[in-house]
Amino acid sequence: MINFFNVSCTFGKDAGVRDINLSINEGEFVFITGPSGAGKSTILRLIYLELFPEKGKVVIRNFDSAKVRMNEIPYLRRRVGMIFQDFRLLDDRNVYENVALSLYVSHYKTREIRSRVYNILNQVGLGHRIYYRPHELSGGEQQRVAIARALVKEPVVLLADEPTGNLDPRVANDLLSLLIKINQQGTAVIVATHNYALISRVPSARLIQMNEGSISGVT
Amino acid sequence: MTVFWFLIKEGFRGLIRSNYAGAFSIIIIAISLIFIGVGYIAARDTLVMVDHIRAQYDINVFLRQGTDQPVIDQLAERLKGNPAVTEVVYVSSDSAAKLFKQEFGQDIFDILEYNPLPPAFTLRLKPAYRNLPSVEAIARQVNTEDIVDEVKYRKNFLLLLEKYQRLIFASVVTIFSLLTILSVILAGNSIKMTIFSRRDVILTMKHVGATNTFVRAPFLIEGTLEGLVGALLAGLTIWVSFHFLNTYFQTIFQYKALASYRFYGGLAGLGSMIGLIGSMRAIRKFLI
Repeated sequence: MINFFNVSCTFGKDAGVRDINLSINEGEFVFITGPSGAGKSTILRLIYLELFPEKGKVVIRNFDSAKVRMNEIPYLRRRVGMIFQDFRLLDDRNVYENVALSLYVSHYKTREIRSRVYNILNQVGLGHRIYYRPHELSGGEQQRVAIARALVKEPVVLLADEPTGNLDPRVANDLLSLLIKINQQGTAVIVATHNYALISRVPSARLIQMNEGSISGVT
Repeated sequence: MTVFWFLIKEGFRGLIRSNYAGAFSIIIIAISLIFIGVGYIAARDTLVMVDHIRAQYDINVFLRQGTDQPVIDQLAERLKGNPAVTEVVYVSSDSAAKLFKQEFGQDIFDILEYNPLPPAFTLRLKPAYRNLPSVEAIARQVNTEDIVDEVKYRKNFLLLLEKYQRLIFASVVTIFSLLTILSVILAGNSIKMTIFSRRDVILTMKHVGATNTFVRAPFLIEGTLEGLVGALLAGLTIWVSFHFLNTYFQTIFQYKALASYRFYGGLAGLGSMIGLIGSMRAIRKFLI
């Protein structure tokens, strides 16, 4: 589903990735780990085409980084869910509106938006927080909203960039349980993290270790 | 329709959220529109005044003394047939003498013992012909008639009118264009500030798969609304000012400032356009 062919993408002296070859299948659970600056986030950013390879190419289903036109990128991102360490929720709107945004941009009808948003918020355990603003929620709840926003459009893959970085261990564990559940429902999950406690909780997941922009090991 | 209403709602939300930067854009647009609007009214009324003066403009055709009346009547008919002429007024020698007495209080016969005033025609021209080239052409044509002794018209007066008319027109166009461009730039810059303060919204929209058109639309709606609110402020200021002017100073200046609904509509249209273009320029750099 996702293939990296000899991908290099650097910025600055050390940051970025070099000569990456990688293949991720449908429904897989993958951890990308390594120290800060190892290139974990770069891999994710290459998948949703926020960055483009300097060398090689990334192919995500039928989107090829070497051929894709700029106006096609939104259609790729509608198939890729993303969550970040800082949640990136919009404070000027409530939980419902934050999640619904994903569907409005994809031109869904109001009735379908309403049904999908209520459904996904119930799934992530936030059915009772629909009209809350992000700043009125805890860190764990905010990350759940971000997950709901990413999942409501039924993506083929969920990318999580240090999703537990701002959460305490108990909340981080709950969140991981949610990611496992999502994966079991068929969505591929790729988590970039240096939290080894988290990794050890999903023994079936593939672990890609990065170091200085290269893949140093796959287990 | 869902998306349409969503974008409209986002535009209004943006306007409400824009705070000081939005207020600044609105004020800039309002000030520019006040200058543009008042400048337009002043220029329009000056041009109306010039046209009014021009409407009084006429050509005097003096005939040879002793010309027979039937020949004069024939010329009058020919002049009436001229497409440039709207009115032909005949002033006989006797009528001219009466006019002289009315104006100067003395009988011409008492001064000279004879009437030297020739019979004459006063020609009024259609508005399209009240300009120097047309007047000169008509004068030349009329001068070829045998019974015409002299054709007189105020050349310098016409020259002056045309010069001022051109000057007013050029000034209005220049000031109008400069102010419009200036307000587009200034409003655009402050809209850019509001967009910058909401780059999180742009980033999030792009992350969840919004196209550039989708991201752009609420900001364009917001810019247009800011322009419209600016126009509303400008219109209100102009209306109140004119009302004040007409109430307290009309008799002193002998002038009544009037603005039609079309003028206010135009102001709203121009304000919206300034806001729209300003926001189009501003959003461009955030969509790379």
